[in-house]
Amino acid sequence: MDGLKEIAVIWSAETRRAVRSGRVLVLLGLYSMFSALVLLIVGAIANAIREQVTARLAETGNGDEAAAALSVEMKKSLLGALTSNDTALMEALSQVPIVVLVVFKVTLFFLPAYVALMGFDQISGEVGPRSIRYITVRARRSSLLMGKFLVQASLLVGLVLVIDLGVFIYARITNPDFTFAALGLNLLKFWMAAIVFSLAYIALTAFCSSMFRSPAVSLVFNFVLLFTFWLMDVVGQGYKDSVLGFIRFLSPSYYSGDLLHPQISQFGVSGAAYAGFAMLFLGGAYAVLRARDL
Amino acid sequence: MSELAIELHQVTKRFGPKVAVNAVTLSIPQGQVYGLIGPNGAGKTTSFSMMCGYLYPSEGSLKVMGVEPTAPGALKGKLGALPQDAILPPGWEVGALLTYWARLSALPEPEREAREALEKVGLAEAWATQTQALSHGMAKRTAMAQALMGQPPLVLLDEPTAGLDPRIASQVRQIIRDMRGKQTVVVSSHNLQELEELCDGAAILDRGSLAKAGTMSELTGQSAEFRVQIARGDIIPPELTQLAGVTAAKMEAPGVLLVRFDGQAHKPEEVISRTVGHLLQTGVLILGVSRGQKLEERVLQIL
Repeated sequence: MDGLKEIAVIWSAETRRAVRSGRVLVLLGLYSMFSALVLLIVGAIANAIREQVTARLAETGNGDEAAAALSVEMKKSLLGALTSNDTALMEALSQVPIVVLVVFKVTLFFLPAYVALMGFDQISGEVGPRSIRYITVRARRSSLLMGKFLVQASLLVGLVLVIDLGVFIYARITNPDFTFAALGLNLLKFWMAAIVFSLAYIALTAFCSSMFRSPAVSLVFNFVLLFTFWLMDVVGQGYKDSVLGFIRFLSPSYYSGDLLHPQISQFGVSGAAYAGFAMLFLGGAYAVLRARDL
Repeated sequence: MSELAIELHQVTKRFGPKVAVNAVTLSIPQGQVYGLIGPNGAGKTTSFSMMCGYLYPSEGSLKVMGVEPTAPGALKGKLGALPQDAILPPGWEVGALLTYWARLSALPEPEREAREALEKVGLAEAWATQTQALSHGMAKRTAMAQALMGQPPLVLLDEPTAGLDPRIASQVRQIIRDMRGKQTVVVSSHNLQELEELCDGAAILDRGSLAKAGTMSELTGQSAEFRVQIARGDIIPPELTQLAGVTAAKMEAPGVLLVRFDGQAHKPEEVISRTVGHLLQTGVLILGVSRGQKLEERVLQIL
C-alpha cells in the first residue's frame, strides 16, 4: 500500500512538472509536424493519382461511375497491402479513410523512436547528477521506476490523443462520407492500439534509462535495441521457412499488425505480446536499478 | 529498538580494483552528534553513501536505525540525508520540490514542513525560486532543508558547511547544535575545528580504514592530559609525577609543560588543580592551562 502511495505521489508531481515544462510542447510539435508531413505527402500522392485516373477515364470516354468504381478498387488494393489481405481486418477498416491508415502505419514505425526521445533520461537523468539520492531515502526504487514509467505513459496517452484527433478531423474534412459515428469509434480503436503498442516501448526506454548514468548513452543504447528489433522482424519475415524465421517472434515490431484486428483472439495475442514485452522490460529495469549503486 | 543508530561490521567497499572502504567496524550511539573525519579519499563519503543505502557494501554488514539501509523502503521516515555531490533536479520551484519530497516521506503536513525547513535554513524567500537559479550556497541550504523536514531520528550530513559563507556556516552549526539530544546527527567534514566544537564522538578514517574512533574527549585526550603554559620559573617534572593521579610530566616545548594523568581513577579538575597548586607554590608563574589536544593536532598525529 505504501508503495502504491509513493507511485501516486511521484506520478502526480513529476507529471505536473513535465506538463509545465517546455519539453512537452517541443515533443508535441515534433509529433504533430511528423504526422502533418505524412498527411501532406500521402494526401498529395492520393490526389495526384486520383486526378491522373480521372483524366485518363475522361480521355477514354468513361464517366464518373467508372471513376468511382476504380477509386473503390484502388482503396481495396491499398487496404489489402496494409493489412496483408486479412479480409476481416479489411472489412473492419473499410470505413476508415486510407490516409488515416497510412499515417497510423507510419506512426507505428516512428513511435518507438519518439518514445525514446521523450523518456531516455527519465532514470539516467537522475542517476548521473545523483538527484536520485534525494528520492531513494524517501521511496522505494521500484516506486520511482513505476512512477516515472507512468509519467511517460500519461504524457504519451495525451499526446497521441491530440495527434490522432487532428488526423481524424483532417480525414473527416477531406472525406465527407466518413461519418462522425465511424470517426468516434475508430478514433478510440486507433488511440487504444497506439497505447498498447507504446507501453512496451516506454518500458524499453525505462530499461535503457536504468542501465546507464549518462542520458546520452542510454539514448544511443535505446536506438541500438530499436534497430535490433526492427532487424529481427525484417530478417524473420524474410526467412519464414527456416529456423532463423523464428526470431521475428522475439521482436515487438512483429505483433503490430493485429492491433486493429476485429477478432478478439487476434487482437488478444497482439495485446498480450505487448503486455508481455512491457513486463519483461520493466522487470529488467527494476532488476538493474535495484542492484546498482546510485 | 537498538540503542545504536548505526552499526558497521567489517564493511568493505570496492570500486573495481580500488578499495574505498576497508573492513570498517564502527558503532554510533543514538542521540549523539558524531563526526566522520579524514583527508580526501579517506572513505568518508563512501561510508556515508552506504549508510544512506545509495551504495551496496562489497563485504560486511551495516545497520542503520536497526535496518539494512538498502532494503526497499527501510529508511523511509527514519533518515534525513544531505548528500555531498547530489544536484537538485532542475525545473522545480524550491517550495514545490520540498513539498513533493515531504509528501513522499509521508509527512502529515507537507507544505508546512517544507516552509518550516526553509525558514530554519534562512531561505524562506526562495520558495518560488527555480532550483537551477539557486546559487551554490542557496542550493546547499535547500538540500539541508530537505534533510531536516519531519525531524527524522537520524540525520546524515556530508560536508554541510563546505562552500558556505561564514555567517551561513555558523547558522548551520547552530541547527546541528539544536538537534543534539533530540536526533542522531552524523557529520562528515574536513573542518576539524567545527567537528571538535559540534561532536560528541568521531571516527577518523584514513585511506579507507578506521584509524581511531571514540568520544571527542577520548580522541583529544581531554581526560588523559593537559598542558600548562609557563611564563617564568623552574619546573622539576619528577616532583610532579609524585602528585596523586599524575603519570607523566615533561616539557613538551619551551614554556609548555605536558602532564599526563590517570583519567579513570582521578577527576581531571582535581589533578589539574593539584598540579597548578604545586607549581604556584614552587614559584612558577602560569599563563594558561588547556586540556587535551586540539582535534586537528590529534588527527595530524594519527594520520
